[in-house]
Amino acid sequence: MSLDAIKILTPELIVILTATLIYVLGAFLPGRHWGRVAMLGLIGAAIALYCTYEYRFWPEGAQAPLASVEIKGPIAVDLFGQYIRWLALLVGSLFVLTAQRPSSSTPAAEMVGTLLMSVAGTMLVGSARELGLLFLGLELVSIPTYVVLYLARGDRASQESTVKYFFLSILSSGVLLYGFTFLYGLTGTTDLVEIRQILLAGDDTLGAGRLFGRLALVLIFAGLGFRITAVPFHFYAPDVFQGTSNLNAGLLSVLPKIVGFTALVRLIAIAMPGYEVLAWRVAIVLAVLTMTLGNVLALWQDNVRRMLAYSSIAHAGYMLIGLAVGLAANMEDVSSVALFQGIGSTIFYLVVYGVSTAGVFAALTALGEPDKQVDLLDDLAGAGKTHPFVAGCIAVFMFSLAGLPPLAGFWGKLSLFFSALGVDAPTGGDTSDLRKWFLALAIVAALNAAIAAAYYLRIVGVMYFRSPLTTLAGEGGRGARVALTASVVLVVLMGLAPGRLQSGANKAAQSLLPAPATPQVAKLP
Amino acid sequence: MFETKSLMVLIPALPLAAAIIVGLLGRRWLKEYSHVPVVLALAGSCVFSLLLLKDISNREPDAKQVGVEVTHTLWTWAAIPAAGVTTPQIKATPNFQIDITLRADPLTCMMLPMVTFIATLVAIYAMGYMHGDPGYWRFYAYVGLFVFSMTMLVSVSNFALLYVFWEAVGVCSYLLIGFWFEKPEAAAAGKKAFLVNRVGDFGFAFGLFLIWVSFGTLNFHDAGDVQGVLGQTLLANPARYAEIITGSVALAIPLLLMVGACGKSAQFPLHVWLPDAMEGPTPVSALIHAATMVTAGVYMVTRCSPLFMLDPRAQLVVACIGGFTALLAGLIALTQTDLKRVLAYSTVSQLGYMFLALGTGSLAGIVAGMFHLFTHAFFKALLFLGAGSVMHGMHHIIDMRRFSGLRRVMPWTCLTFLIGSLALAGIVPLAGFWSKDQVLAAVHDRAHDGGPFVYLYYSAVLTAFLTAFYTARAFFMTFMGPLVVPHEVGDHAHESPPAMVFPLVVLAICSIFVGITFDHSLGDFIVRTPSLACTLVAGEHGLEHHFHWDIAAISTVVAVLGIAIAAYFYLGDRRQINALTRIMQGVRLYGLSNRKFFFDEIYHVLFVLPLKGLAALSYLIDRWLVDGLVNLCGWIPRAVGAVLRNIQTGVVQFYALAMVLGLALLIGTLLVWKVG
Repeated sequence: MSLDAIKILTPELIVILTATLIYVLGAFLPGRHWGRVAMLGLIGAAIALYCTYEYRFWPEGAQAPLASVEIKGPIAVDLFGQYIRWLALLVGSLFVLTAQRPSSSTPAAEMVGTLLMSVAGTMLVGSARELGLLFLGLELVSIPTYVVLYLARGDRASQESTVKYFFLSILSSGVLLYGFTFLYGLTGTTDLVEIRQILLAGDDTLGAGRLFGRLALVLIFAGLGFRITAVPFHFYAPDVFQGTSNLNAGLLSVLPKIVGFTALVRLIAIAMPGYEVLAWRVAIVLAVLTMTLGNVLALWQDNVRRMLAYSSIAHAGYMLIGLAVGLAANMEDVSSVALFQGIGSTIFYLVVYGVSTAGVFAALTALGEPDKQVDLLDDLAGAGKTHPFVAGCIAVFMFSLAGLPPLAGFWGKLSLFFSALGVDAPTGGDTSDLRKWFLALAIVAALNAAIAAAYYLRIVGVMYFRSPLTTLAGEGGRGARVALTASVVLVVLMGLAPGRLQSGANKAAQSLLPAPATPQVAKLP
Repeated sequence: MFETKSLMVLIPALPLAAAIIVGLLGRRWLKEYSHVPVVLALAGSCVFSLLLLKDISNREPDAKQVGVEVTHTLWTWAAIPAAGVTTPQIKATPNFQIDITLRADPLTCMMLPMVTFIATLVAIYAMGYMHGDPGYWRFYAYVGLFVFSMTMLVSVSNFALLYVFWEAVGVCSYLLIGFWFEKPEAAAAGKKAFLVNRVGDFGFAFGLFLIWVSFGTLNFHDAGDVQGVLGQTLLANPARYAEIITGSVALAIPLLLMVGACGKSAQFPLHVWLPDAMEGPTPVSALIHAATMVTAGVYMVTRCSPLFMLDPRAQLVVACIGGFTALLAGLIALTQTDLKRVLAYSTVSQLGYMFLALGTGSLAGIVAGMFHLFTHAFFKALLFLGAGSVMHGMHHIIDMRRFSGLRRVMPWTCLTFLIGSLALAGIVPLAGFWSKDQVLAAVHDRAHDGGPFVYLYYSAVLTAFLTAFYTARAFFMTFMGPLVVPHEVGDHAHESPPAMVFPLVVLAICSIFVGITFDHSLGDFIVRTPSLACTLVAGEHGLEHHFHWDIAAISTVVAVLGIAIAAYFYLGDRRQINALTRIMQGVRLYGLSNRKFFFDEIYHVLFVLPLKGLAALSYLIDRWLVDGLVNLCGWIPRAVGAVLRNIQTGVVQFYALAMVLGLALLIGTLLVWKVG
């Protein structure tokens, strides 16, 4: 660890120091204003992130400073890591804002500090290039989440959901670690770059090595499948979402997905060359199961958070498409455009999904009051008349999640589906097979998007076409309102001008490999 | 004073800004002053459009360029790399990139001043017409949005964006037609307009898919390496079109685009929405019929001329649809008793004229179609606003049988309506005469070769006769004869306020002069549009101007004949009924009068009943077959969900077991399924 490493980790350190400050001072100054300190910390982290690397996704070719900070070690200094860190800071700020008015039984300082810890964990996972650090980052997201879940509300439902999440999360961490051990045993190193080089060299082809590699792959998929709520590792989500607060449900549906997909990309798509054929098939199967089950079950729910839990499961399925594309493309040609496009569209979708979801839960928080939150779909009846602004924002988020143009969600789905259709390996034997698989995947995804529209529009329908059953307090706090306004502006902006973010995501994906390939330029003959 | 590019942005931006201001502040603060931002913005837009027109008309095409065009890219909307399809014609996989690009070329610069000018007058007019309406601010917000959509529609340089604003215009028209949504007819009319337009848009969308698949881009213009569909590279070498789109695609693309145009421009068989659209406030009708919305289809077909030129069959289909619609709508207009409805069918008919002209496939024809669009905008706006003025005076009664002789109480309305009627009938030297003459001449030129164009020519002449007849009839029934006002009005019949009369006078002056003023210059200007300037459309020689004396004579004769017969029927009729004149033979006139109603019955049997039968049949199919299928599709996911939800037990041990089982299954599959 040199000074450079500290410089690189400045943003994370700022967030963690802020959290510590809030913990310590919170013991002496009980109050509810720690959210502002947290915001300051996040803003500081963002500034640090900006200053440390002088990195911008645009203008074109502005990535020169990164090359000078080339460091061997556990931390990857690449655009992909930056992208994830920016995303973590963005959704982290939205959640901190939403947490401005917690329930009366919640200690505000602990709540906000712990929230910051999981944001720091998410940022760390983004740049982790070593098995140990990666695991550490993942746990830095998980462990604060247990605390946050427990702190949310003092009732039994909240405790039950905390315990459920705790046990199942530990189980999944164990499975993941087990996968790591196989990977370590196979290659003898924990550095992802070295693992990649060893596997590329084909040193594992002898003896049982190949089997261990495949076991590692499946175990990693299973372990991270829990984080991204992939079927059949999704069971906890509906119960836990239902039992906790709206803020926590938002946190749970966004942060674990970010770290899960980041880790999957770093581990499977980049560090494990040679196992793609298995990997993309597993990814496709998980994608189809996940999106279908999520959407179909969401149709039945009357509890808003439970419905959104299934919706978040379904979105994990969509994002797995991009991963599968990246894996399939990796197999044929390391520098192919589709690899970057698949992963690029996944992380683009993460932003789109993250902002929309954070916005929805901020809106639900805003509609409730600290000690009585919005639970049922019926609670929302008539919100279009009683709370026109918040209801309008929820409608925008729903349209975005359903993928209606011209909102952000539409472009997210469009790039994912396009990436699936773009899989057409130029060389190799079973290309037609490959294409058929991905065509089928795209069709299933499109059908799923149609099913999903039913329950998203149901929420809109309940808000606008039914008369109120209960009075909505609308006392969720000013922070939640700010968060939802910011989200709605972002969703609309990303819908009107997604181009730069898309190309940023693609650049980030291209930075994953040591020698970034230049995509071919379309030309008419 | 202003740069071209800032003008291009300002023209749509002003109405949008006004719409946003009125939308946000209208209900609480602006209230009865809601018109101020919109009228100012539209007037500003109009001035900027004229400046842009001046700018573009001063540019000369250089040798390297086909036509005159200026493009201005604001930002990249979507960029999905290598998302496209690889076809034999396009080797590389293109990026799916949509730039927000505005363009200015003669075609755009012809549309923009027309749209904004008429919209400005309509907005001024509505200050009087909509005065006191509880939705006053809402009306102006919608109008601002409508004009924004329309100006964008003619300014964008990309098919995807064209589609976006095509839809936006549709949405705005839905909002405006159903403006008085408390009235069931208005709500139904808005819905009908929206749904019929969907049918057209469906075809349009498929046309765009085919264009994307064939060209690998949706841009009009060239951007970097990407050669736009209507870009300079392709237009400079039009032979490439025949290489890129071949076989049935070359026919399918224009026909699908035409389906879209039929929806938006109310052509047979999708014309049914336009007459119902009368339920909206009259200024909206004027806006929809004259400047915005219905002209979009004509604009789009003109813009895509190079695509229509590839297959003569496509041109013939366009011409036949246009000619048939013109005749059909003209026949229907003969017997309508609702003043606005007569004008609505007349719009359908005149739009048919424009498509007929476009379908000739000659440069002269396309120019004639656009010229007719241009002149029509003025006199049709005038007629609609005149009808609105009558409605305003008659307390929203618009049945021509309920009133007559209004020339005494509404002298200004009467005079301007007369000018509009004569222009529509095609009487020398008013606007309609010149453009109709060009249309007829273009069709006549094609008729030299024989074939279907001979019949189309005769039907066009017949339509001209019908046009003169029903226009005169409407005028005579409303303004001539003894003064009769509906009893609801009592003696409150009055001329409209100055805010309404002023636009009428301006439009009347325009209706007199725009035809003769722009007879040649408009054509010379728009042939420099890249889409029209390419040799594919232009042929060996450019546009020639020669006045067709024979055609002018024929069209004047049929117009005068139509007016004369109308005068004989309707003026004579009234006198006969009211004063039992000795000169007129009562029985014979009653007989003729009866025959008019007899036509109505024929229409009913010929058109209404079969359509109703078809509707009933469609309803049955829809009710039992389609609904059944849809419900089945909707039911399946729910049924699957009903089964699956049972495994969500809430027991944490089971969840853990399921996760482990899932993992075991994955590992098991991995052992059995030897891949990787």
